[in-house]
Amino acid sequence: MADPADDERSEELESLSAIYPELTRDDNDLFHATLELLVAPNPHVSVLFHPQVVHSSFCSLDEILEDLKIDNPSSIVPSSAEVVQPEWQDLKYLPPLALDISLPSEYPTSTPPVIKLSTSPDYFPASYLESLEEECTKLWDEYAHTAVLFAYVDYLQQAVEDGFTGVSGKQALKVPLTYKPQLLDFDKSTKRKKFERETFSCGICLEPKKGVNCHRLATCGHVFCRACLQDFFTASITQGDVASVKCPDPTCGRADGAITHRRAAPLKLRAIPPGELLQVPLDRTIVQRYVDLKHKKKLESDQTTVYCPRKWCQGAARSKKYPKPTSLDTYVDSDSEPEDSPTTEAEGSPTTKPTEKAADPSADRLCICEDCSFAFCRVCLNGWHGDFVRCWPRTAAELTAEESASYDFIRKNTSPCPTCSSPTQKTHGCNHMSCPQCRTHFCYLCSSWLDEGNPYEHFNNPKKECFERLWDLEEGDNADGGVAFVGQRGWEAAVEIAEREAEAAEAVGNQNGENQAGGDRQDRARDGEQEGRQGQRREELGNEERAGIQHFLEMVENDEEDGWDSDELGDEERFNLEFR
Amino acid sequence: MATAGANKRIAKELNEITREPPSGMKVRLVDESNVHKWEIIMDGPASSPYEGGHFKLLLTLPIEYPFKPPILSFQTKIYHPNVSNDDKGSMCLGMLRSDEWKPPNKILAVLNMARNLLVEPNAEDAIETSIAEQYRGDRKAFEKTAKEWTKKYANAK
Repeated sequence: MADPADDERSEELESLSAIYPELTRDDNDLFHATLELLVAPNPHVSVLFHPQVVHSSFCSLDEILEDLKIDNPSSIVPSSAEVVQPEWQDLKYLPPLALDISLPSEYPTSTPPVIKLSTSPDYFPASYLESLEEECTKLWDEYAHTAVLFAYVDYLQQAVEDGFTGVSGKQALKVPLTYKPQLLDFDKSTKRKKFERETFSCGICLEPKKGVNCHRLATCGHVFCRACLQDFFTASITQGDVASVKCPDPTCGRADGAITHRRAAPLKLRAIPPGELLQVPLDRTIVQRYVDLKHKKKLESDQTTVYCPRKWCQGAARSKKYPKPTSLDTYVDSDSEPEDSPTTEAEGSPTTKPTEKAADPSADRLCICEDCSFAFCRVCLNGWHGDFVRCWPRTAAELTAEESASYDFIRKNTSPCPTCSSPTQKTHGCNHMSCPQCRTHFCYLCSSWLDEGNPYEHFNNPKKECFERLWDLEEGDNADGGVAFVGQRGWEAAVEIAEREAEAAEAVGNQNGENQAGGDRQDRARDGEQEGRQGQRREELGNEERAGIQHFLEMVENDEEDGWDSDELGDEERFNLEFR
Repeated sequence: MATAGANKRIAKELNEITREPPSGMKVRLVDESNVHKWEIIMDGPASSPYEGGHFKLLLTLPIEYPFKPPILSFQTKIYHPNVSNDDKGSMCLGMLRSDEWKPPNKILAVLNMARNLLVEPNAEDAIETSIAEQYRGDRKAFEKTAKEWTKKYANAK
């Protein structure tokens, strides 16, 4: 053997390793080397993972479609869980093509290099790899039996980048289903490595950031730096503004991608699922709060929700519609799908909902608290008494000090949305509000619905109480209750009625003793109203409004009475239940 | 965003805007030690009724910026459907509304929006509906008043 340093073969391998530093040379055999080439088909390759395939092959996209259709029992025969379906994926990266090079002693003058190609797993058809191997000998011939390795590696790279997808019109790969995890993992981890090396300009801090410090949002692909997403989402969730936990990109979800000064149609942006927030990563307690808040919002927007009567619990009754979220990582709530439009969210407008509820008082009285598992009655809020016991709704007299204090705060410092009744507190700006819950446009001063197309008309109409008051309370609705609005908000009116009724009930109970108190509840409510405190507020309450609320209360009571018009219990027992 | 990061972003935006001011605008801090209050002198765009006027605007960045929108107001009285006709000169539309604001929006975009509104008022989302109605129904009268006000309050010659 000649001195290796002088050998042409050795020189060739050395220059090749200068170009491809990842070339590995064999310590025991100087003329043996291996090289792994990245397989990155351009733009991507469609791969069909087929349960019945043993050897990989090329196929056309049409064949893929056909396989998916024929093997899809749901379209032909009733589906059976046992049948393993072919699955189809577009991959950007495939595991590397391993190139094994041996240079015989007669190379390059009289023998071509010995080439072995392989992949793990063998997703390329064996015949294809063989043809690639043969190509080396052809090239060696073309190069008139001189050093050919560099040209060959270059050829291979091009072949795996865009060449093989064109093999006799076949653009896709059909491989055994068992290869799926390996191929998907490789594709994913390579994409991640590429992403981490890239540099992005974060739209929030406006700084260039390495991909490793960035997060690509799963649904829309927009990239922001982790620190900014953490800060933004954490701030939003801490403030309870879960509606903002969406892609921050201003063009995201807009078809035209344009930012205009016109009010855009409500965007159908996907809420970011909690599992992804954990990847950003956000603090677990914050994500928990996010999930809890979303769950709570859904329960609150549904007026049929009943809460646990145990003072220390106050959980919601278990609901099939909104099951309590369990695992943060897997939890998917409905608005990770496109957001519901306000109309569906507000299903059951305030006028219909109470009637429905009242019309069917007996249905499902049994409630079980989702937090403490306490079984209780929806109507009387006592521990479950069985289906055949007559009971009565609790009255406002039974509000605890804590409850009244919080109602009091809500009453003084918030205005309710006219659609979903969510109490809203204004922090700054004009009185044209849009409900954070259901996006209804309304007036902060009087809770009137505002026409979305012309919301300011309300403040420019001299006949309205809110004339020229668009900017009242511009600094926000202060905690001192400094509301400069003459008259009551709808909310205030409701609470006041409840209070009056409570006082009246107490007064009647004290004065008349048991027998009279057992009389007609409706009469008592009316008496109570007459005997009630004659506050200044009350005069301000419009007659029409009062009548409306009174009518509503009567309606509820009548319907309850109708539902329970039986003689199971005497008046005495009825009284006891009421004033338990 | 931590305060340091937020201030860095504001400084960056200020730097960009001072280096390459948007056409027809002069931007400076009201007080050099406070990056949260900017004063903008905006020239009325040519061939708009505000041409020749110099309008002073105040841009206030909340502590939560860029997570909360800037607050923009006209300090110079202006006859415009989207600017409140009072001593506040408030604006409340488009990306200035907190439910529409997105953190990647920039101050430059806000200023450009304001300037575009001078060229083309947005009568559909007007604060001053009477001005909006006039703008839609009697453009001549609108332009006349807008010009008069520009002369009277915004130093147009």
